[in-house]
Amino acid sequence: MPHAQFMKRLLPIPISITLASLFVAMWTAGCGSNSPTTQEASGQGEKQLTVGVAFETLQTEYWVAGFEAIKEQLAKRNIKVLEAIANSDSNRQFEQIQTFVTRGVDGIIMVPKDAKTCIPSIRAANSAGIPIVLFNRPAGESDAKSVAVQADNFKLSKETVAFMIEQARKTGTKHKAMVIMGDLGDINAIGRRDGFDAAVKGNEDLIEVVSRVPSEWNQEKAQAGVVNALQAHPDISFIFTSSDFLFPSIVSAMKTAGKYKKIGEPGHVILGGFDGDATAYQMMKDGYLDATGVQDVYFEAEATVQALLDLRGGKDVPTLIQDPGFVIHQGNMDEMTPKMWGANIRK
Amino acid sequence: MVKRLIQSEYLVLLLSAVYFAALAPFTPGFASTGNLANILSSMLPLLVVAMGQTFVLIAGGIDLSVTSTIALASVVGASVATGDQGILSGNSLATPGGILAMLLVGATVGSFNGAAITRFRMPPFIVTLTTMIFVSGFAVWLTQSKSIFNLPTTFTILGSNVWVALPLVAVATLVMHFALSRTLLGHWIYAIGHNKNAAEISGVPVRRVLLFTYIASGLCAAAASILYTGRLESASPVMGRNILLDLIGATVIGGTSLYGGKGKILWTVYGVLFLALIDNSLNLLNLSYFTIMMAKGAVIVMAATIDSVRNKLLNS
Repeated sequence: MPHAQFMKRLLPIPISITLASLFVAMWTAGCGSNSPTTQEASGQGEKQLTVGVAFETLQTEYWVAGFEAIKEQLAKRNIKVLEAIANSDSNRQFEQIQTFVTRGVDGIIMVPKDAKTCIPSIRAANSAGIPIVLFNRPAGESDAKSVAVQADNFKLSKETVAFMIEQARKTGTKHKAMVIMGDLGDINAIGRRDGFDAAVKGNEDLIEVVSRVPSEWNQEKAQAGVVNALQAHPDISFIFTSSDFLFPSIVSAMKTAGKYKKIGEPGHVILGGFDGDATAYQMMKDGYLDATGVQDVYFEAEATVQALLDLRGGKDVPTLIQDPGFVIHQGNMDEMTPKMWGANIRK
Repeated sequence: MVKRLIQSEYLVLLLSAVYFAALAPFTPGFASTGNLANILSSMLPLLVVAMGQTFVLIAGGIDLSVTSTIALASVVGASVATGDQGILSGNSLATPGGILAMLLVGATVGSFNGAAITRFRMPPFIVTLTTMIFVSGFAVWLTQSKSIFNLPTTFTILGSNVWVALPLVAVATLVMHFALSRTLLGHWIYAIGHNKNAAEISGVPVRRVLLFTYIASGLCAAAASILYTGRLESASPVMGRNILLDLIGATVIGGTSLYGGKGKILWTVYGVLFLALIDNSLNLLNLSYFTIMMAKGAVIVMAATIDSVRNKLLNS
């Protein structure tokens, strides 16, 4: 091998060694530098806490409202916030939680993708002794310890659909119904579907469920499903959606089928939803929506932050804190609007 | 000096070290042992799938179906291994059976891609894009969009314990590195990427070699799926859906050419390292997901520009 060529081959070796040394040196220097992010508030001697807030998505108004409400609650208590959004990617969310642990946060608030994929993340927090509270989606059964704050999906859906059935009864005719379901891997979607079924049970003389549309929490899938269902059953006159965020798709399909009519107009389809977002508020104000089950985001945010602080303080906290929510409809709209988060963000 | 630096194949490794050194003092926890383990843990599955992509890219192709292969392998393997009415539930063969099923999925998808591209001379972009859509839909249909849990510990440990995964990935990396750089097959892959027609005239079995690269890519995606599934202790029909940018980005940043004929497994290792460092540091700096995506996009464009400049310098 010619000398020059031999040297050329050898040349990268010192570079690699230098780089490897630099890396090792940095690693060594870094060991032990994993200091907690808790800071001394200037002159006060009080420690400022840092909380990591990891949301699976900010795709819907509900999540945005929840995210903002939690940040507001933390700011009120002078707690520093680290934010992370996983864009519906469980793997990324796991890495984000690991990052929070690395930064030594004082607590973690998390909206997981589903009940099970979050378990390794909860375990990571448990191992580091960091309290973790799950907002709106509880974890499945496991040895990992967490607290969850969640709307009572079953009860609230049942109450909402029961109100819709009352309206249906007033019409004096039998109704064909459609229910738009969420992602059935999500415990919230299951609770809402079960609430719908429980309300319909015993009222089969009045409500015949002819279509169950699986949306997987996806607007396009919801729209395609509703279009198909309305083609197959043009006489559907009762629709419940498991989330208000699907209303734009549902309304679009209803308009195409000529079925989007105001309450009191001939051909009005009894419409109900869940969440209480801004679209639902506007539809209710305009007289198209009969009722929606409102999750009390402000209650949930406050309960989440309080639970986290209680866990830090070593207090006993129930593993599930339920938000009872409320049903808003044309009859109580004026009274309940101030508590409806969707009405507030519309302002 | 600058010219030499740009031409150096260690440029990305050097950039990684400089980036690390520059950000460590300002980024809380960046250089801590725990965080370096985190970086390693997030690198491993991406590296495995990127190595398969490197084979395909060097041969002048592209495999967009790897993300859906990861998802399908994940749910098929978990259906076999899960304790919740899995095919081998409670059997001591649940883990090997699940892994075998996953690798079989990878090989099948890769074979289909390779066969369609070589037999019917269809463009790799269209074939693998279509496969991605089909396989992705199939994974969702198969599971009715539900995740699968309760996997055996012997399975999940492969992805959840970085010290178990590291030696396995290291061996795979060395094998693929030597296959590409020291074997006749490797030379054929480069030859096809440089000029497919010339390679064919020279007696290179182009069809078989191309088929091999797509099967290798499918197998790598399945192997990455084992790591991702183990890491999350659950299988999902949407697993890996968001890694395409990271995957192509890491190989391009490493220096593998999108036009074929150029690339190395070691370069891909550097590319994955650089991307993992960026991702991790920006997370630690509390930047939003969307800002991180923009930063990554900018880095990939920069890498492509440097690649272009480097090619011009080498040709001048």
